Amino acid sequence: MLNLNNIEVTYLNVIRVLHGVSLEVQEGSIVALLGANGAGKSTTLKAISGLLYAEEGEVTDGSIHWNGERIDRKSAEEIGKLGIIQALEGRRVFGHLTTEENLLVGAYYRKDRRAIKQDMAMVYDYFPRLKELHHNTAGYLSGGEQQMLVIGRAMMATPKLMMLDEPSLGLAPILVEEIYDIIKRFNTEHKTSVLLVEQNVRIALSIANYGYVMENGRIVLDGSAEFLKNNEDVKEFYMGLTAMGTKKSYREVKHYKRRKRWL
Amino acid sequence: MAELLQYLITGLAVGMVYSLIGLGFVVVWKSSGVANLALGAIVLISSWFTYGMLVQAGLPLWLGFPLVILFALVLGWVIERFALRPLIAQPILSLITVTLGLAYFIEGLVNFIWPWSVDALPRLFPTEPIRIGLAVVSQEYIWVASISLVMFGLLTLFFRYHKMGIAMRATADDQLAVQACGIPVTKIFSMSWMFACVVAAVGGILISSIGGITYGLVETGLKSFSVVILGGLDSFIGAIIAGPIIGLAESLGGGYLSPYIWAGVKDIIPFIIIIIVIIIRPYGLFGEERIERI
Repeated sequence: MLNLNNIEVTYLNVIRVLHGVSLEVQEGSIVALLGANGAGKSTTLKAISGLLYAEEGEVTDGSIHWNGERIDRKSAEEIGKLGIIQALEGRRVFGHLTTEENLLVGAYYRKDRRAIKQDMAMVYDYFPRLKELHHNTAGYLSGGEQQMLVIGRAMMATPKLMMLDEPSLGLAPILVEEIYDIIKRFNTEHKTSVLLVEQNVRIALSIANYGYVMENGRIVLDGSAEFLKNNEDVKEFYMGLTAMGTKKSYREVKHYKRRKRWL
Repeated sequence: MAELLQYLITGLAVGMVYSLIGLGFVVVWKSSGVANLALGAIVLISSWFTYGMLVQAGLPLWLGFPLVILFALVLGWVIERFALRPLIAQPILSLITVTLGLAYFIEGLVNFIWPWSVDALPRLFPTEPIRIGLAVVSQEYIWVASISLVMFGLLTLFFRYHKMGIAMRATADDQLAVQACGIPVTKIFSMSWMFACVVAAVGGILISSIGGITYGLVETGLKSFSVVILGGLDSFIGAIIAGPIIGLAESLGGGYLSPYIWAGVKDIIPFIIIIIVIIIRPYGLFGEERIERI
């Protein structure tokens, strides 16, 4: 469905941040894109959604295909119309608009008012908390509520591929779980593909079918969620577990680091 | 007493027109962060265009007025498309400087096409004075005030309930997030410029139908700028309320003070008020608070 073929991304014509990234999102699947800060995860999402241009970035090599159609030269609105919708990192709600208005902005392109109303009810069904707050100014919602709103806004666009950038960022663990349950439910009920960028590897792999691990602008490892969960390196470097599967005790931490095998 | 009432009504009416024009400034400022210094010039050229339609071409009002609106829409579109869009993502100061250049360009164009620089529009509203209590007020002012009020109402509805209006407000909050929703921000920018030009044109017609077309219209644009500073650059309600304040200050100050001080005092009073307000509230009377959660 979505294919990234060896793409390179350069900012301001000089700073190359992605060095040949290839990945694939199958229809109806949840794919997790994992990695530490600065690995290039968000840049990959922006390359897909066409938002790179707003930040003076450019796909300089390789290609991105969506159902066979090449989209890496298209503008953000054309890509949005194709059904690829990104929820940005950092809970970017429209602060001075109400919850309901935020959701309406998500449905900007759609004409059918009745369907929009239905989807609004659907979002409120997924996030009952938002229904209670539908007249409140979004800027004053709590962090978790804002994250729900951002995801709800993406849902309102009836996306075929929903790209979520770190939905767990800065949220309490219980909220993170709630939000991930909802993402999973939305994925199964609407057959919407989800491309998920996450640092919280454990929670991301709990709902994903497939995962990619990024480092320094390259994909260093990929495989099914099961495979990644059991991979020694992923466990060691991203989940903080030792090879034994127990929690790492810092008493026994040695002065040298375990060598990553994929490098 | 009668004098006072008269000053109040003219001040309110003129002030509301300032608000109307100011709203155009606010929309552009909010959606794209550009201070539109060409506002006065746009008021000027649309008034002259109205003159061209109604007097020179001799069209009736029902035909001429829609053409003026069309002209304003095209003007806004052209300005955004050819002067500002090439500069997107450039430092904001360059964009503001471009609007300053536009102001001179438009003023030059007006001088070129209508070199006699002063003329009168045909009367658009009945002129017989009406009595309100003791005061005798020219009906025109009542008309101007009512039309401005209707425009405020329509605009409020548009920004509250229309999809485009909501999207324009969203753009003011977060451009990148708007793009992430698949909304073309360039379309929003061009809408906001078209909007600014239309309200400037309507404001220009209202003012010049009373006072005639003069170079002073540029100053009217400048006054709207000060209205917006007083009300808060990013606040619609601020612009609507600050307009009448400036208008009243002008007409009351002009009416009562100029015999004692000097005739030009009328034009200075609004700015004195602004300086005082800005010292106390730097973001204007109703400037939007930054919403920050801690």
